Amino acid sequence: MAAVAVHQFAPCITCHAWSPDRSMVAFCPNNSEVHIYKLSEDKWEQAHILQKHDQIVSGIDWSSRANRIVTVSHDRNSYVWNYEGSEWVPTLVILRLNRAALCVQWSPQENKFAVGSGAKTVCICYYEQENNWWVSKLIRKRHNSSVTSVAWHPNNILLATTSTDGKCRVFSTFIKGVDTRDSKAGSSSDSKFGEQILQLDLSFSWAFGVNWSPSGNTLAYVGHSSTIYFVDDVGPSPLAQNVAFRDLPLRDVLFISEKVVIGVGFDCNPMVFAADESGMWYELCQIPWGEEDVINWSQVWFAVF
Amino acid sequence: MANSLRLYLTCIRNTLEAAMCLQNFPCQEVERHNKPEVELKTSPELLLKPILICRNEAEKCLIETSINSLRISLKVKQADELENILTKKFLRFLSMRAEAFQVLRRKPVQGYDLSFLITNYHCEEMQKHKLIDFIVQFMEASFHPLHLVLWSVVNYFKYYAFLWTY
Repeated sequence: MAAVAVHQFAPCITCHAWSPDRSMVAFCPNNSEVHIYKLSEDKWEQAHILQKHDQIVSGIDWSSRANRIVTVSHDRNSYVWNYEGSEWVPTLVILRLNRAALCVQWSPQENKFAVGSGAKTVCICYYEQENNWWVSKLIRKRHNSSVTSVAWHPNNILLATTSTDGKCRVFSTFIKGVDTRDSKAGSSSDSKFGEQILQLDLSFSWAFGVNWSPSGNTLAYVGHSSTIYFVDDVGPSPLAQNVAFRDLPLRDVLFISEKVVIGVGFDCNPMVFAADESGMWYELCQIPWGEEDVINWSQVWFAVF
Repeated sequence: MANSLRLYLTCIRNTLEAAMCLQNFPCQEVERHNKPEVELKTSPELLLKPILICRNEAEKCLIETSINSLRISLKVKQADELENILTKKFLRFLSMRAEAFQVLRRKPVQGYDLSFLITNYHCEEMQKHKLIDFIVQFMEASFHPLHLVLWSVVNYFKYYAFLWTY
């Protein structure tokens, strides 16, 4: 297994997001701008530069249906960019944060997005049609340290967060008027906004990179002690497994399928983990990336399968 | 003697490879700030346990890591007063030119002779394994000139003592 293609866009990339058709990629080259590159005939060309933030852009997400980009930065601001005509037009989102924003993700139905911040809070933003702007609701008083990563459950209501206090928490983000109470969903739709469903205390060190499996049954996150944690049947009685490995810690994970997970981190090779028939997770292999130590702690690239 | 130096340096190199997993992390205490957490020490959850590697009672190396920065403090062997003075002068010469080194700290940590401060920005600009090579080679090289200078000073005195007595 080797890299499909290697392109050097910038000496250092902070965060990135793919467009819905995977023909464009938006990333931050370690400054306050967002560059969008388009793939045309096997060459990457710079299409747009989005300049609105004052400090480094720490999170980008590109929604697949509505073609919107959300960016968050260390300057406590967030912008939602809409493609109008041939330009990207920003809309400021009042996050009400008093520290840097660290990560962002659109919800599966793209009517909300979650922002993790250094203010030990998570902002859930949704669009208010009457006032034509994005409103934020905060989940406070639950995290003891910065929120490093957020991940939405496929049901659009549950949100998993990881923090530098070593814990992974699952919250309900039900917002009246935005989410509908599904009678089939059961316990997840009975909770109020900001209610903590679950707190996982598996890691001794900082927790990063959380991701749900496509069905929402399994949760995976990494700890800085070179371990990756898998939690099955997230709910009142979860089943947790740790897989420890010899290499340097991972920084982010992605579920490729229900049983296969790829992790990237401080070692320059992505690692593949798989679950066997009995549900036990193990390390499958490493994908050799070459001699370049370009991947410091990049987010996982969505492979086009 | 050379053997124990090899072991000491290998141990330090392995620890640095694990400790140098740094990332950009904005300050939790002050908005819009980005400072090395190992220097500020305001949030205990962001600091890892410091590791002390001792070669013998006189030589040791303290490695303190945090989420975005790493501090390496060295204490070199000083057997007598002369070595003490020479070490102080040599290391003070280096510390005064800390800007040229980029990773050197201007003042050593209390109780040590020399300190390095490596932040995530250094890891972004320079390659991690090259930084570790630099630190280990620096340690190897810094042992050498001190002893050479010391020997040359001792020999100088011996020679003149010989001249004066005969």
